[in-house]
Amino acid sequence: MKGFVRFVAAAALTLAGATGALAQAKEWKEIRIGTEGAYPPYNNLNAKKELEGFEIDYGNLLCEKMKVKCTWVVQDWDGIIPALQANKYDVILAGMNATEERKKRVDFTAVYSKTPIWAIGPKATKSDDISPATLKGKSVGTQGSTIHANYLEKFYKDSDIRLYPTQEEANLDLLNGRLDYIVADALALSDFLRGKGKDCCRKIAEVKRDDAIHGAGVAGAVRKSDTELKDMISKAIAETMADGSHKKLEDKWFKYD
Amino acid sequence: MLDKLALLGFGPEGWGWALLQGAGITISIALATLPFGLALGLVVALGKRSDKVLLRGLATAYTTVFRGVPELLTLYIIYFGIQIVLQELWRALGLPGSFSIPPFGAGMVALGVVLAAFSSEVWVGALNSIQKGQREAAAALGLSKGQAFRLVVLPQLIRVALPGLGNNWMVLLKETSLVSVITLPDIMFITTRANVVTKEPFLFFGAAMLIYLFFSLISARTIDRLERRANRGFAAFGGATR
Repeated sequence: MKGFVRFVAAAALTLAGATGALAQAKEWKEIRIGTEGAYPPYNNLNAKKELEGFEIDYGNLLCEKMKVKCTWVVQDWDGIIPALQANKYDVILAGMNATEERKKRVDFTAVYSKTPIWAIGPKATKSDDISPATLKGKSVGTQGSTIHANYLEKFYKDSDIRLYPTQEEANLDLLNGRLDYIVADALALSDFLRGKGKDCCRKIAEVKRDDAIHGAGVAGAVRKSDTELKDMISKAIAETMADGSHKKLEDKWFKYD
Repeated sequence: MLDKLALLGFGPEGWGWALLQGAGITISIALATLPFGLALGLVVALGKRSDKVLLRGLATAYTTVFRGVPELLTLYIIYFGIQIVLQELWRALGLPGSFSIPPFGAGMVALGVVLAAFSSEVWVGALNSIQKGQREAAAALGLSKGQAFRLVVLPQLIRVALPGLGNNWMVLLKETSLVSVITLPDIMFITTRANVVTKEPFLFFGAAMLIYLFFSLISARTIDRLERRANRGFAAFGGATR
């Protein structure tokens, strides 16, 4: 038994030594991109089960710039970082903000999007003040495991914070009158206020960004070991900023009211 | 109203086809899990009734763990946790490429081990209902232990276990809704995606509910038939055995 273990260990070491150099200089010809497919206008599935949205167009554009083949994987938000670490895909493009907390687990590329953060509530809300003192005892909803959830949990301890699996469910509960406020991305919320929430709700105020919690903006996330991939994508992002193709896609997908 | 229903149809804006495919995933993962989970459950049940202390301990530990841990967590552990461990191993061995657990397989294993834990209790109950005398009689006839189990015990086991196992199946059918967290596009996965695009949550939750109900109804009828078949010759018991 001992002899066998030693043999396996020795064989493993030899193999590891032989392929170690190869692994170092991995050339990226194919990149698998993970996204949520439930966060319009960033990324969502349509009735034909195809992905669409800003990040889908933008991701494909980046791949074009990098001259690599790209495939997309749709993964629920809650497992989106574990799946990256489990090598189910190589980069996350899913409206993910580059926060300090997440930087402990993944590396981020350059920022490619930055959206304002809003608080919305029923039309009848009297005050436009959203200080923690005003919101004491009020119910505030947002999607769980997001920067908004972290922000609420840090500064609004005395409010009744309710976390939902997707933003859609929080919106639904505001519509149902179970929530007093929602704090989330202006994009997702203005979409809601133009549609279903037109009659019930309004924008109350813009939330001041706290860089420590909200991060620098939306960026791609890669495994910490994939430095080359990170640099490659960041370079492609810089290119799209310089030649105006990024702006073109932003104008196509993002409409604020 | 009609234009809303078109969202469930098969036109260019309709999600009908996607929902059907989702239903296909749901039912196929449930059907794939069933034999694996029930067979493993029977093995665990036999372990629980073994006269070897070690086997009994292992079987009890198994049911304690997998009945106690939420299924969602079991799913995460198998799909993400085991994958990371295997991957490290793969890398340590210096093998080329990478190792990946397919989502369908991971879902099947996760749901299967939990089904095994629950169904093992049903199997134990059924095994207890068969009197020791029958096994002794089989031994007296010269049947080996294996033969006695296969020819004498198992056919009677099914009859007693069926109602409980039918219950396990219904639970399994609903628990499949968890597999959307590991990228399997089942009914719930499609429903949540359709909600965020169409902003018609009730329409789609309603449709999902009807699909699940449809599967449950078919299952209930099938189980009923199987029970009636298994109970033939036991008319004297009436409904008592059901």
